[in-house]
Amino acid sequence: MEQDGRRLFLMTCIGGVAAVTAGAVAYPVISYLAPRKGKDNSASVTIPEKELPPDGAKFFQYHGKAAVIVRKKDGSVTALSAVCTHLGCIVQWEAKKGEFICPCHGGQFSAEGKVLGGPPPKPLEQLKATVANGVITIG
Amino acid sequence: MTLVRKLYDWVEVRLGISEVIEKEMTGYLLPRTINNWYSLGSVLLFAFTLQVISGILLLIYYVPDADKAFKSVSVIMNEIPFGWLIRLCHAVGSNLMVATLFLHMFSVLFMGSYKKPRELQWVSGFTLLNLVMGISLTGYLLPWSQLSFWATTVATNSVGAIPVIGEYLVEFVRGGKLVGPPTLGRFFAVHVAVLPLVIAGLIGAHLFFLKRTGISAPPTRNDPATTTRQGSSYHYDKHEGGIPFFPNFFLHDMTSVSIYMACLLGVVFFSPYLFFTPDSFVPANPFQTPAHIKPEWYFLANYQILKIFPSEIIGLTVQGAGMTFIALLPFVDRGDGRYPLKRPLFMVCSLGGIAMFIALSIWGHLS
Ligand code: HEM
Repeated sequence: MEQDGRRLFLMTCIGGVAAVTAGAVAYPVISYLAPRKGKDNSASVTIPEKELPPDGAKFFQYHGKAAVIVRKKDGSVTALSAVCTHLGCIVQWEAKKGEFICPCHGGQFSAEGKVLGGPPPKPLEQLKATVANGVITIG
Repeated sequence: MTLVRKLYDWVEVRLGISEVIEKEMTGYLLPRTINNWYSLGSVLLFAFTLQVISGILLLIYYVPDADKAFKSVSVIMNEIPFGWLIRLCHAVGSNLMVATLFLHMFSVLFMGSYKKPRELQWVSGFTLLNLVMGISLTGYLLPWSQLSFWATTVATNSVGAIPVIGEYLVEFVRGGKLVGPPTLGRFFAVHVAVLPLVIAGLIGAHLFFLKRTGISAPPTRNDPATTTRQGSSYHYDKHEGGIPFFPNFFLHDMTSVSIYMACLLGVVFFSPYLFFTPDSFVPANPFQTPAHIKPEWYFLANYQILKIFPSEIIGLTVQGAGMTFIALLPFVDRGDGRYPLKRPLFMVCSLGGIAMFIALSIWGHLS
């Protein structure tokens, strides 16, 4: 019985030391590997209106992800996430049809981001866009 | 506990793991007289593993491009969390590993363990020492600092003393007339791919030889005069009535590994730049040679030998002859008996050799 108690005590000590050592190794290694915070990219993005051709689209980076602005037939501007809601490929703008097509699995979206066909489960995410003095501000 | 037990039983039924543990761990018997010098091999296995792991971590941020290498190392040191820790463990670790290699070599030297039947252990071990020095030399270039650049220029230059092919050989090693971006590409490939694989393979061979011959018992004064193996048939040195490797000697191994780690972290925390010089903090400049470029401490003797001989080729020949002699020592020194105090000639030569190595190193450092 006394033997068992001693064994348990020693095993607990060894386990404790092993756990502390593992922690002391894991903490620096995980910090080292953790993704680095880039420049602050939470700011809004501004694009001069003349860079957006009529019935064309312009792709850009927004909060670290791909986004797109399109000018609709009525002249108004919409900003959308360009990440397809199916498996995350980047949708392409088909100017002739006025639609987005995802090249990966053929998902189709309207210029407002609504699903028109194919596998995507959800519409493209809407972003806030305002036009003033010839400058488009997103976010 | 029952879950662990169940898992163990599951594996046991399939692989008979308890038999392996019995054979390699608890039933693997070592001589009762074994001493702590025998734990240096395990320390070296640990040190090599640490170099491999820290090296892989460094590869994540290091960029092997002459324009970016120095910057990427500064980023690792100053910006990536704990990058300094990983880089210093790698750089300081390489120095400590070489030091431990020397200790391991001297211990098997003075215990006469290189003698029959362990000649192959010695030859493979000595080759390992040289390869580890080679991996350190190639790694030295990678930070692309003034020190890296010029130390590599000097080191590769001495190859040029070889008659006839020397000049071409230097160019071949450098990938150009001078050290430059092509040199970095080659040294990088050798440092991170070629040598680690060769060293790992050779460590495997070293351990295989150990498994087949069995570990030696330390020599004692009372050994019969003929402790060197006689006869011409294979025989495994078993030590009946010895102590089990696990847990008895394993504890000694762990103690030595802890001492190694204490030395390593001691340098990393309290004297991180012990093995660096001011030139290692300045990016390489191919048009400006800094004054007093010196190699790492373990190359100082070689460096000094090259300097004291009037012609480089004589210096290289002397070194080559010395290295060949050490490599083939077990085939030269075939006498009976391993107890060092009963081998005066051996003691004089070994201690004299070590003293000369140290003296040349100090001379090289001061000159
Ligand atoms: C990466 C380098 C090396 C590793 C990982 C390594 C590893 C080991 C290990 C684990 C052992 C068994 C335990 C012990 O006696 O320490 C051993 C034994 C031995 N090593 Fe090494 N070693 C290395 C380099 C060397 C060098 C440089 C030499 C000599 C030039 C050498 C010569 C020997 C000899 C002769 C033995 C047999 C000792 C005996 O049975 O008494 N090794 N080595």
